[in-house]
Amino acid sequence: MKRLVIFSGTLLLVAAVFAFNIAATPWKIGEKYNIGFSSNEVGGIFKVFKGTINFDEANPAASNFDVTVDVASIQTGNALQNKHAKSDEWFDAAKYPVIHYTSKKIVKAGAGYQVTGDLEIHGVKKEFTIPFSFVKKGAGATFAGTFNVNRNDFHIGKPGGDVADVIKVEIAVPVTK
Amino acid sequence: MLKKLLILAIVSGVLAAVAALVYQKVYIEVQGVGFEDILSLKKIFAACVGGNIVAAIGYFLLSKVLKGHTEAVFNLLFALLTFAALYYPIRFTLPLDAEMPELFPGLAIPMLFFPALGWMTLKPLFAKNI
Repeated sequence: MKRLVIFSGTLLLVAAVFAFNIAATPWKIGEKYNIGFSSNEVGGIFKVFKGTINFDEANPAASNFDVTVDVASIQTGNALQNKHAKSDEWFDAAKYPVIHYTSKKIVKAGAGYQVTGDLEIHGVKKEFTIPFSFVKKGAGATFAGTFNVNRNDFHIGKPGGDVADVIKVEIAVPVTK
Repeated sequence: MLKKLLILAIVSGVLAAVAALVYQKVYIEVQGVGFEDILSLKKIFAACVGGNIVAAIGYFLLSKVLKGHTEAVFNLLFALLTFAALYYPIRFTLPLDAEMPELFPGLAIPMLFFPALGWMTLKPLFAKNI
C-alpha cells in the first residue's frame, strides 16, 4: 500500500511538472490593438480582432495562437471603399465573415519569433509564416509583426488592377496576463 | 464692380457657412455624428467665403469677356462646378478612427451647394446693378 502511494505521488508530480512545461502562458488581448493593411491605393484597419494567445517566450514550441479578424469591421476611412471591400468582388464578408489564423509551430528566429500556421481568408486556407516580436512591458506585453500577403493567393479581387497584388499587413497586439 | 462682387461674395459666403453649421447641428441631432474635426467651424467658413470670393473673381473676369451674357453663363458654370465637386466628399478618406464614415457624404454633399445657393439668393437683392 505504502509503495502504491509513493508510486502514485511520484506519477502525479511528474505529470504536474510535465504539464507545467507544456502549458504556455495564456494572454488576454488588450483593447488598443492595431490590425492594419496598406498598399499603393488603399489602406485601413480591421477593428475587431479576437482569439486565444498562449505564449511563453522561454518555450515557444509549447505556445499557440488561434485568432480571428472580423471582415465586416474593415475600415478604410471611406464608406464607398468599405462597402466595396466587403462585397463579393473582394472579401465577400457575408459568405466569409472572418479571417482565421491557427498556429502550428512557433520558433525563435533571430531577435524575434516566427509562427507557422494556417491562414484562412475568403474560404482559402494556406500555410503561412509570420515573423513577430514579443516585447514585455510591466505586467503586459506587445506582439508586433509586419508581413506581406498576396491577395491573389486567397482569390481576393481580380489580379492586377488599381490595387497592388501584395498587401502589407502590420499587426500590433498589446496583451495582459 | 469688383468691390461690390467681393462684398456679395463675403456676405453670401457667411450666409452659406451659417446654413452649413445649422445643417451640421441638425445632422448631429438626427444621425448622432457631425464629423466636427473634419468639418470644423473654421474650415466651413473658410471654404464658403473662400469659394465665393473665387466665384466673384470668376464673375468679374467673365463679365469682361461676355458682357451681357455673364449672369447666365456664370450661373451655369457655378452650378456645374458645384456638381462636379461632389466627387470630393464621396472619395474623401476620413481618419481611421472616425465612426460611421458612411454618414459623411450625407453631411458634406448638401453643404457643397450652400455657397452657390447663397450667391444666387443674394445676388438679385444685393447687387442688382452688377
